[in-house]
Amino acid sequence: MSKKNLAMRVSIAIFAIYLLIALFAPLLTPYDPFIIAGGIYEEPSPEHLLGTNDLAQDIFSQLIYGTRATLLLGFTGAILSVSIGTAIGIVSGYYGGRVDEFITRTLDIVMTIPTFPLLLVMMMFFTPGIYVTGILMGLLGSARGVRVIRSQVLSIAQMNFITGVKVMGASDLYVMAKHVLPNLLSLVTVQFVFSAQHFMVMGIGLGFLGLGDSNVIDWGQMIDRAYQNGGVINGLWWWLIPPGMAVTFLSLSLALFGYSMEDEINPRMKLTRI
Amino acid sequence: MIEITDLKTTFSTGLFKKHTINAVDGVSLHIKKGETLGLVGESGCGKTTLGKTILRLVEPSAGTICFDNQDITRLSMREMRKIRPRMQMIFQDPDSSLNPRMTVAESIAEPLRLAGTKKQEIPKRVEELLTLVGLSLEHLDRHPYELSGGQNQRVVLARVLALEPDFIIADEPTSALDVSVQAQILKLIRDLKDELGLTCLFISHDLMVVRHMSDSIAVMGQGKIVEIGTPDEIFESPSHPYTKDLVSFAKNAVLPYKKESK
Amino acid sequence: MDIIRIKNLNAGFPTKRGLVRAATSVDLTIREGECLGLIGESGCGKTVLGMTIMRLLQPNTIISGEIFYKGQNLLALKEEEMRKLRGKELGMILQNSTTSLNPVLSVGDQIAEGIILHEGLRKKEAREKATELLEKVQIKNAAVMSKRYPHEFSGGMRERAMIAIALACSPSFVIADEPTTGLDNRTMKGVISLLAEVAKSKSMLFITHDLAAAFEICDTIAVMYAGEIVEWGDVDEVFSAPLHPYTSGLLNSLPERGFIAIPGSSPSLIDLPGGCRFKERCACSEERCARAHPLMKEISSSHKVRCHRYD
Repeated sequence: MSKKNLAMRVSIAIFAIYLLIALFAPLLTPYDPFIIAGGIYEEPSPEHLLGTNDLAQDIFSQLIYGTRATLLLGFTGAILSVSIGTAIGIVSGYYGGRVDEFITRTLDIVMTIPTFPLLLVMMMFFTPGIYVTGILMGLLGSARGVRVIRSQVLSIAQMNFITGVKVMGASDLYVMAKHVLPNLLSLVTVQFVFSAQHFMVMGIGLGFLGLGDSNVIDWGQMIDRAYQNGGVINGLWWWLIPPGMAVTFLSLSLALFGYSMEDEINPRMKLTRI
Repeated sequence: MIEITDLKTTFSTGLFKKHTINAVDGVSLHIKKGETLGLVGESGCGKTTLGKTILRLVEPSAGTICFDNQDITRLSMREMRKIRPRMQMIFQDPDSSLNPRMTVAESIAEPLRLAGTKKQEIPKRVEELLTLVGLSLEHLDRHPYELSGGQNQRVVLARVLALEPDFIIADEPTSALDVSVQAQILKLIRDLKDELGLTCLFISHDLMVVRHMSDSIAVMGQGKIVEIGTPDEIFESPSHPYTKDLVSFAKNAVLPYKKESK
Repeated sequence: MDIIRIKNLNAGFPTKRGLVRAATSVDLTIREGECLGLIGESGCGKTVLGMTIMRLLQPNTIISGEIFYKGQNLLALKEEEMRKLRGKELGMILQNSTTSLNPVLSVGDQIAEGIILHEGLRKKEAREKATELLEKVQIKNAAVMSKRYPHEFSGGMRERAMIAIALACSPSFVIADEPTTGLDNRTMKGVISLLAEVAKSKSMLFITHDLAAAFEICDTIAVMYAGEIVEWGDVDEVFSAPLHPYTSGLLNSLPERGFIAIPGSSPSLIDLPGGCRFKERCACSEERCARAHPLMKEISSSHKVRCHRYD
């Protein structure tokens, strides 16, 4: 099995585990993560695999539930940003000319705005729930992917088969949906995976800064709480380390998947003949 | 069928210092129904742009285009779309003329769907078209990269004929193909033309090919038509210096062995 | 002296649909100073043959047989030894100049690459040599053009640049793979005369489907069909008196003969028919053509053919 193939399978396997954990969280947790489950700051024991935190909540259960928040943020953000980015990229690359110039110039301006600080500001002022956070991330992050999509669309639009379908009387919308988009699929998939990874980590970051949705458990918040409660000084490793490792492995698996898909990005438009 | 009067297509680049290129510089042509006009010239002379302008894939800057006695120069895109099925084009590079993700069956079915053919009838029509261009059923589920250039060009022809056009522009359809495949595709185009009574504009840089395929030939250079005549006139007694140049060139590129020996 | 001797070469690629038999029992010899033209349609295996000599095929290619260069079996060499030969002794002009040149390096640098690698010259000297080479391939303003990039070169000029790259370290043997595809007539003529000049001082394998070009440059012709050599001989003999029906068919496809097409298409290299591989399209095929696979027969010292009509 080639390296790329192995990488792909391993990364999908790891990701599948996370997904299953997120979906079946209630069945996997011994306790409800919010209730008081024992004494505070309890060390790991058979009843509490990762001990308890300052509010006597079971950390293991919290870890399991935290998967949901992270995956949700990542996917919401990715779906939205990739959809918007792809749509704009296709329109820009397909029409070219003034439309393209206008979009590119606008994009240049928009991209000078630092998205993360802007997100922080909005979070601080509006303290939105997790779904809205995901939407905000998606909207602010759409500009990034446009460039790559656009350049691929530019080369596809040159191809004779596109002209051919236009000559047959197809509308522009038809051409974009039925001919341009399918040829972008591998590129879009890779973008999706990398965006998801990016937003998941961003979500953790927000939680760590205390800007996460307090009704939802997320790893960032857990790490933050651990710090605030002297986790490092008091050696509360069972609280501090597991969330960090959880996000690291998730991030790695997605990056690995993206890496293994690299070869698929180049569409085999021209094959040399024997 | 096709009447072009004083057609001009100009491209301009640059925002401040406008640099204009007169790709098509006052071309007037007339193609009768059922006739094939060969358009010959070297690369860069504007022949491809002329073809695209006639189909309004590129907007003309001046002049008129008449298709079947209808002025189509300023028709809206919507109106154009209604007429489009009747005027089709085949391109030089068979590899990029087909969507690499679609199978042969899907590629041929697409124009049928666009034209509104009933769903049940499509498979039958696809088979008919397949046979018409000399392919067989085993090719239906193949993708373009699995077929040779010649076979792909046949698929392109099948697609184009699915719309039952009256007029076809063939832009260097065999320039990217081997000698033996070229002969096959040229024969196919000729047979289809005769069988279906098509009017054709055949564009090529190869004078020998154009001579073989056309009823009359127009020689193009730097955006203008420099000479028009029958294939024999052009070959035996060219008048314009540019034409003379092309003809002497073509004559010299010929293999000396003319007799076929067994 | 034979500079290249190919003995019983078989090459195949395993694919999802089956084994692609790109070369079957190929025997060819090229004498020193000779230019052999390898003609055939796309997909017949001729590029594969060129790549096999250079050992530039995918690692999972199945190869058997021997290819001797000046007496040394190239197929038995280790990769590092082969690398020393590539560029220095064996040059190759690749197909499709548009994609075979690195778009982000100047043309001069790409020519210099080989020189630096094999002759150990320093960048400055290598660049000067590159400019000289560009002059030799008749590119005007060589010094200026050397610093330009491939996209600033026209198709014909790119082809000449490819020739310069192949000749950079003065190899004794050059393979030219379809150098004229995609060029218009006038440019083609220039490239062909350049190659004719090169052929005078080197041994060459000229792979093409352009019969007129092969006629002008080559001393000998080998005709390839469905992975096999079906005819071999002196260029004048093959073109004026072709023995194999496929060769006659090819000649008839030419404009001068009226574009007479050979019916049908070549067999898939995965699903090769038994007996003679050309029988489906042959006007004079007989019963024995379906039964037995024809062997290469020597008709004269300068003409061989693989066809039952001459048994």
